[in-house]
Amino acid sequence: MLLASLKDVDFGYSDVPTLHNASLEVHSAEFVAVTGPNGASKTTLLKLMLGLLKPWKGKVQLARKRDDGSRLTVSYVPQQIAAFNGGFPSNVQEFVLSGVHSRGSWLRKVTEKDRAAAEKSLRQVGMWQLRSRRIGELSGGQKQRIIIARALTQRPDLLIMDEPTTGMDQESRAGFYELMRHMVEVHGMTIVMVTHGLDECRPYLDRIIELERKGEGGWKCCSTTLCNGHFVPAG
Amino acid sequence: MEMLQYDFMQRAFCAGGLIAIIASVLGVYLMLRRQALMADMLSHVSLAGVAAGAYLNWNPTLSGFLTAVVGAVAVEYVRRSYKTYSEISVAIIMVGGLSTAVVLMSLNKSISKSFTSYLFGSVVAVDQTQLVLMAAVTVIGGLFFFLLRRPLYQMTFDEETARVSGLPVGLISMMFSVLTGMIVAAAMPVVGVLLVSSLIVLPASLAIRIASRFSAALLLAVGIGLTGVFTGLTASYQLSLPPGGTIALVLLALLLIGVGLKKAVRFVRSKSSHVAAADTEMHTYGPIPRLSGDSHNH
Repeated sequence: MLLASLKDVDFGYSDVPTLHNASLEVHSAEFVAVTGPNGASKTTLLKLMLGLLKPWKGKVQLARKRDDGSRLTVSYVPQQIAAFNGGFPSNVQEFVLSGVHSRGSWLRKVTEKDRAAAEKSLRQVGMWQLRSRRIGELSGGQKQRIIIARALTQRPDLLIMDEPTTGMDQESRAGFYELMRHMVEVHGMTIVMVTHGLDECRPYLDRIIELERKGEGGWKCCSTTLCNGHFVPAG
Repeated sequence: MEMLQYDFMQRAFCAGGLIAIIASVLGVYLMLRRQALMADMLSHVSLAGVAAGAYLNWNPTLSGFLTAVVGAVAVEYVRRSYKTYSEISVAIIMVGGLSTAVVLMSLNKSISKSFTSYLFGSVVAVDQTQLVLMAAVTVIGGLFFFLLRRPLYQMTFDEETARVSGLPVGLISMMFSVLTGMIVAAAMPVVGVLLVSSLIVLPASLAIRIASRFSAALLLAVGIGLTGVFTGLTASYQLSLPPGGTIALVLLALLLIGVGLKKAVRFVRSKSSHVAAADTEMHTYGPIPRLSGDSHNH
């Protein structure tokens, strides 16, 4: 199933387009990395895909419904969320649990199942022990992880992340890529991630989208590399 | 309580209590959305509405109320288009509102006499219309904050991620702005234009520092707001001080005491549990676990 697509999209922040003729497609249960040098409009590409920015021209489509007709959920982990609202009066557990409310009524009761889902996500990112900390007291890398945990609690069909591994140590990055691969394979999640650490995550990916410089200084999307025979976690 | 035998004091306590509840809750959201100055600005704009109402022989309370709501909608549009320059637009709109009010009021001699009562509040002179308005605003605001508490939590944390996860952020944000205008206009008689932000900002800024859960922050803010308003009203009655200023001073004192206490508690704790804290940091939190290594996680 086609989840998101860009077709011949132009976009820029000033008069000159920074993205020119960008086209790409994201299908369900894919793990895709978007890469390119600094200033290559990677974040812009994600925001266009999410509908947070409107393209100058071209067509952007984001699926609204799943195959069975129920609402498709999308989750976004922005870049530099580490700079977020330091004084936000909330603890880690409450914050991650808030992810469950993106499905169903705003007023429904929090169930044991919800709590279990939040606990699982927190354990998956190795933050369960810090669950009663105020979120403002966490370090940058820890903040990044609870945002990811909240996104996982939402159980999104499409998870879009902007440099999620910034601030993570090497061991955490390996654990993170394994976890994402697991989400794609076992839960059928679709993951699009902007990254610079291609060497590390290549074994886990299905596809790499690379932004290339075109002649007159703008950026062009996208050469797509298929990654075959990706690493499958043992056990 | 001898002072409560007086009609005007009963009304003052009712009005103060209602506004303390709803303004404190609003304050928590405004602070976290970095819109703390919005209350101040809307009260200045609302004053222009009051002056215009008096000049045109309308009910000044209602015209002030409407102006605040319209102003809030305008601010919301400005916020959407100029995210980075919000402070400048606040200053410009504030000056515009206040100067319009001053000029309009000078044209109308009858209202100039109570100019200071608009600037500094006259809660003991609250009339029936104002009291009904306050009660209505408190009920509407209470429903809004209760029914939309979860979307508001998400949006207050970050609007972009909230929008992506499917919330109607634009609509809720607009409703929030309109409600802000309503609450500011309703709060004006209690502490006046110049001190409205004390009711909104001071309880919230203390509650946000102390609470570690969101709902606790809201309840704490309400508690602090009520304490401040009731103490301030009592003190102003006993000592014959202007109620608006007294309430604001009491709230300011509560904030300073609260922040001081928190620092003291933290200092004592850090002395006694320095080693334990470092220990926790080291052993109870680790890297993201490897799925391939141990499988008990899933």
